[in-house]
Amino acid sequence: MTAPDFAISLVYIAYALAVLLTFGAILTWVERKQAAIMSDRIGANRAYVRIPFTQVKLIWLGLFHGMADGLKLLLKEDFKPLAYDKLAYALGPWLAIVPVLLVFAVVPFGGTLDPGRLFPSLAEWFGGRTYPMQIAPIDAGILIVFAFSGITIIGAMLAGWSSANKFSLLGALRAGSQLISYELVMGLTVLGIVLIFGTVNLGTIVERQSGTVLGFLPAWGIVYQPFAAVLFLIAGIAENKRIPFDLPEAESELISGYFTEYSAMKQGVFMLSEFIEIAVIGALFVTLFFGGYNLPWMNDTGFVFPGGHAVPLSHGWVVVLQLLTFLGKVFLLCSFQILVRWTLPRFRWDQLLRFAWKFLLPLAIANLVVTAVALWAQQA
Amino acid sequence: MTIDQLLVYFFGACALLGGVLMLVARHPMRVALALISCMLSLAGIYAMLGVHVVAVFQVLIYVGAVMVFMVYVIMLLDVRDPSFVRRYSRMLLPGVVLGALLAGALGISAIRLGAPVIQPGAGAAPSYLVQPFSVEFLREYWLHFELTSVLLVAAVVAAIAIIRSGRRSDG
Repeated sequence: MTAPDFAISLVYIAYALAVLLTFGAILTWVERKQAAIMSDRIGANRAYVRIPFTQVKLIWLGLFHGMADGLKLLLKEDFKPLAYDKLAYALGPWLAIVPVLLVFAVVPFGGTLDPGRLFPSLAEWFGGRTYPMQIAPIDAGILIVFAFSGITIIGAMLAGWSSANKFSLLGALRAGSQLISYELVMGLTVLGIVLIFGTVNLGTIVERQSGTVLGFLPAWGIVYQPFAAVLFLIAGIAENKRIPFDLPEAESELISGYFTEYSAMKQGVFMLSEFIEIAVIGALFVTLFFGGYNLPWMNDTGFVFPGGHAVPLSHGWVVVLQLLTFLGKVFLLCSFQILVRWTLPRFRWDQLLRFAWKFLLPLAIANLVVTAVALWAQQA
Repeated sequence: MTIDQLLVYFFGACALLGGVLMLVARHPMRVALALISCMLSLAGIYAMLGVHVVAVFQVLIYVGAVMVFMVYVIMLLDVRDPSFVRRYSRMLLPGVVLGALLAGALGISAIRLGAPVIQPGAGAAPSYLVQPFSVEFLREYWLHFELTSVLLVAAVVAAIAIIRSGRRSDG
């Protein structure tokens, strides 16, 4: 690895962390504000910053609530229960948040970056090398996503088990069985996309979505696999343990489930990982089904509209547009997940498992079989 | 020494430490955690050698599937079970002897082999990418793979037999 490669990697990692943590912070506000709008309340307008020595209060639609939350969590007493296992208790929050951040390493958040063209003064240093905008352009993309998301299950179970609290233990048991069930559904729905694009490399999958089908439709995954897209989103929300699938932390039954005994920033880490996971699931959905960083009819050189009309763009504009497109799509998906969260009531425990094994799983298998047969018929 | 080699040694040390802790730790959950860290370090070694597919399957299958179920079961155990107090079973001595023999054999073969086969940090070799790997796997090694499942069935039967005999002696 040479110095330019290393510098680019560092920039990508800083960008990804900044994006994810910002999403985590902003989504706490979006959740409140969207819920208020949906239920016709004013909502989220109590926290403010007063400009010193004046009576001017900056409310800014309640944006400071996130800051108030963060300060409160950081300054609260870090109460520790008399846990069975101090090590497992301390490891829980880490295992919950680190894999969620790591998943983003294989998600492409932009097309190909040519830093020499972007900054002509550095062209010599980069020597004409180009970089895909993805922290780890690894061949085994989707497999890595599933490998890391499997580790979060262990985090939830360790946290619940080591808290020495029956509510936590029940939450951990629920988390374990729920995540295992829905991960299976998620894997099977993704297989359809893998069959269609013929690769598990997320970068290649997004590249293959940049063309058009039937002359005008963008060649996005959702056009080929609309059914799998719905199943994937359902399984994704379930993986994130949010309403209607929030049985592991159902506050009316289990206080707050597997992280009942965590306080201060440790509890904050669980909350933050949940909000970051909203963004990560959004990013995965966008990558697999919504064409990633592609706008319709756009490629690495500019727009080519269905009529044959072309609008060329400079490299800088293309990079900025691709980054913004990806962020915009992810934000839309996050907003949709919050819409679901404030619309549906919670499942009962037996309904939740029955839904996974007797409804989603057969549908996912049917989708896979139909896709395989259709592809085979096309090739034959 | 490049950073890649350094990372290989680091992950190797972590894997060894995890393995030793797994043998020494008393509580099943600690044992499971040690095993998880050992497997993650092994995955790190594979990734540093450029065999990403093997690294991913190491995490996906061993950590994401096997260890998740183990942790799930350990969660349901009674943490005050008296059997957690004893550190080693009667098989300590034969185990140590066999372990030393295995380590010796591996060491000797490593010395005889000489130079390392894969250089760390060389990037993924083309034959280790997902597609060639899976084609090769299903063409050449499908029989070995299926035979492993027979082995697993035998292990399940053995486990049931052990539980049965244990229950009978309990009366």
